Amino acid sequence: MNLRIIHANIIRANIIVSIKSFYREKTVVFFRIAFPVILILVFGTIFMERDNEIFELSIQDLDRSMSSEQLVAALDQSERFNITPVSPDADAKQYARDNHLNLIVIIPENFEMSLMKKMAADPFETPVTLTKVYDPGAFGVTTKIGVLDMALAKINQEMSGKPPLIVSEPVSILKKKYRFIEFFVPGIIAMAVMTASLFGSVNVNAELLQKGVIRKLSTTPITRIDWILSNVLYQFILAVVSTAVMLLVSYAVFKVSLEINAWLVVFVALDVFAFVGLGMILTRVAREAESASAAADALMFPMMFLSGTFFPVEMMPEFLQTFARILPLYYVNEGLRAAMIAVDHTAALKSALIIGAFAAVVFVLGIMTTRIGGETP
Amino acid sequence: MTQNNKYSIEVHHLTKHYKGLSAVDNISFTVEKGEVFALLGPNGAGKTTTVEILNTIRTPTSGKVMLLGMDVTEKKYDIIPRIGVLPQGFSSFDRITVKETLQYYSRLFCCRKPDIDGLMALVNLKDKAAVQYKNLSGGLKQRLGIAVALVNDPEIVFLDEPTTGLDPLARRAMWEVLLDLKKKGKTLFLTTHYMEEAELLADTVAIVKKGKITAMDSPGELIENNAHHLVVMLKSVDETVFDIVEKMGFAPDYDSHGHITVRLTHTDDVRRLLNAVRDGGASFTGLDVRKPNLEEVFLKLTDDTFLKSVAGIEEAP
Repeated sequence: MNLRIIHANIIRANIIVSIKSFYREKTVVFFRIAFPVILILVFGTIFMERDNEIFELSIQDLDRSMSSEQLVAALDQSERFNITPVSPDADAKQYARDNHLNLIVIIPENFEMSLMKKMAADPFETPVTLTKVYDPGAFGVTTKIGVLDMALAKINQEMSGKPPLIVSEPVSILKKKYRFIEFFVPGIIAMAVMTASLFGSVNVNAELLQKGVIRKLSTTPITRIDWILSNVLYQFILAVVSTAVMLLVSYAVFKVSLEINAWLVVFVALDVFAFVGLGMILTRVAREAESASAAADALMFPMMFLSGTFFPVEMMPEFLQTFARILPLYYVNEGLRAAMIAVDHTAALKSALIIGAFAAVVFVLGIMTTRIGGETP
Repeated sequence: MTQNNKYSIEVHHLTKHYKGLSAVDNISFTVEKGEVFALLGPNGAGKTTTVEILNTIRTPTSGKVMLLGMDVTEKKYDIIPRIGVLPQGFSSFDRITVKETLQYYSRLFCCRKPDIDGLMALVNLKDKAAVQYKNLSGGLKQRLGIAVALVNDPEIVFLDEPTTGLDPLARRAMWEVLLDLKKKGKTLFLTTHYMEEAELLADTVAIVKKGKITAMDSPGELIENNAHHLVVMLKSVDETVFDIVEKMGFAPDYDSHGHITVRLTHTDDVRRLLNAVRDGGASFTGLDVRKPNLEEVFLKLTDDTFLKSVAGIEEAP
C-alpha cells in the first residue's frame, strides 16, 4: 500500500494549470467573476429604489379651490409621491386605461365647501370623500394605496389639531435596520460559490475524463487524493477571489453594512467542499459530460430559487419552506446571513454544523467514487 | 532482480477477463533492454488492455507481469517514475501551451532540472513552445504526447497506437522521432495496426488476435516463416490473361486498376505462368514479382478467409 498519497508539488502544479486555464477562457472568467457582480448591481439597483420608493400619483382636481390645492401640496410634501395633474375634463377611468396609470385620485367638486362644513359644524357629518380610480391587476398598487392612505391619515390628524392618541415605535430584532441589498448579497455569494464549485467540478472532471487526460494522469505519480485536493483548493481560491469582488462592489456601490468575520471564510469553504464533492459524485454517476451537466442543473435550479437566495424562505408556502430546509444551500444562506447581518454566532454555528455534516458526507462519497486509474480506486 | 537484468518486460501467462469475456488470453513474452517490441493486431485484439496492464492502470485477472524486475500489481508507485506512457488518443489541457504542458508533467514527476528545451527539440516542437494545446494539429499533439512520455527520462516507453489518425506526412514525422528514440537505446513497447510501422521500427513483432499471440518474431523472420509464396503482379488491360491464369488452377485477384495478382509457391510456377500467357497470345504491360510483405503475413495470421484466396499452397506450419 502506498503511503505517499499527498504530494504538495503535484497539487501546486495542478493549481497553476487550473488557474492558467481559467483566466485564458474569457467566458469562464465572465460567468465566474463578472456575472454575480452584475446580478448584485441589477437587483441591488431595483430594490434600492423599493426601500425609499417614490410613487407616481395622478390627481384630478375637479374643485380647483385653495383647499384642494393645499391637499395636493400636502401630499407632495410627504415626499412619497411624484404628482402629475390630470385635466378636469378627462374621463378618469378612460384616461387611466389610455395612459397605463394604475391609480388616479379624484378630488370632487365642492371639496372646499364640504370640508369647511365638516370642520365648522357637526363632527358626525359624513366625511369628505376622495375617489381612487385604480387598476386592481397592477403590480404594487396595493402598496401605493396603503402609502396614500397613511399620508391622508397624517393630513387628517394634523388638520384636526390634536396630537395622536396612539403611536407605534418599531424595534428591530437585529442590531440595526437592514435593507434588501444586505439580505441579497450573502445569498448571491452562497449561490455563486455553489454554482461555480458544482459546475467547475463537473465540467473539469467529466471533460478531462472523456478526453482521456485522466487516463494519461493515471500513468504519473499523481494520486486520487492529490487530484481531489487540487480541485478543492483551486475552487476555494476562485471562490475567495469572487467573494472579495462581490463584497467590494457591494460596499462601493451600495454602501452595504455587512460584517466580515471568520464565519464568512468558514461558509465559503464549506460551500466549496459540499458542492465540489457533489460534482465529483455526479461526474462518476453520469459518466458523460453532458448528462453530468444536466444532472447538476437539475440539482442547482431548485436550490437557487427555493433556498432563500433571492427572497426570504418565509415568503413561500409552508410545504415549500419545509422543502427548503432539506436543501444544503439553505444552510449556507442562513449561516452567512446570521454571520454577516445579525452577527448571531449561535445561529451561524448551527448552520455551519449542518452544512459541515453534509459537506463531509458528500466529500467522502466523492473521494470514494472518483477514479484516477482505469479501474477501481 | 539481478537475474532479470536482461529483460525490461516479462509477461507470463497474462489473462484479463471482462464480464466473462477474455480480452487477453494467456499471453507470454519478454522484451529485452533496448529492444523495440511491437504488438500488432486488429482493433479489439486486446492490445490496449495488455499495454494498460503493463502501465499498472489495470490489474490482470491472472498471470504475472514484471517491469524492470518489479511486479506491476505490487510496485505501482515504484514502476511509474521509471516508465513513460503515450496512451491511446493522448489529450492534454486545451489552454496550456506546449512548454507549460511539459513543465506541468515534469512537476508531477518532481524532476529537479527537466530538459524541457531538449524534449521540444527531440519532437521538433521548439517553434511551437508558446502555442496552446488546442491550437496544435493532430500530428503535433501526438508529438507533444511523446515528449510528455519522456519528461521523467523513462527506461521503458510505451506507445499505444502512436500514429493512429495521423495523415501520412505526420506519420512519417512521428516515425522519425521514434527512430531517434530507438537510436538512443530506449526500450520501446509499441502497439499498432499499421504493418509498415511495425516493419520499420520493431526488432520483434507479436501478432495478436482475439487476445492470443498467434506469431512472434522479427519482421524478417515472420515473413520468411509465414509466407511460403511469391506474389506476382501483372499489369494488363487484356482480360484473357485472367482466364488463362484461372484455367491453370490459380486464384488470381483482379483490381480496379486492371492489375492481376497471383500468389505462387514455386519460382518454376512463375515461368510456367508467363509462358502460358505468352502462348495464349495475351499481352501485359508490366510485371512485378516479390516476396509478400508483413501486411500479407498479418492478414494470413489474423484473417481466416485470407487462406482461401491463396490457391495451391499449404498453410504455413
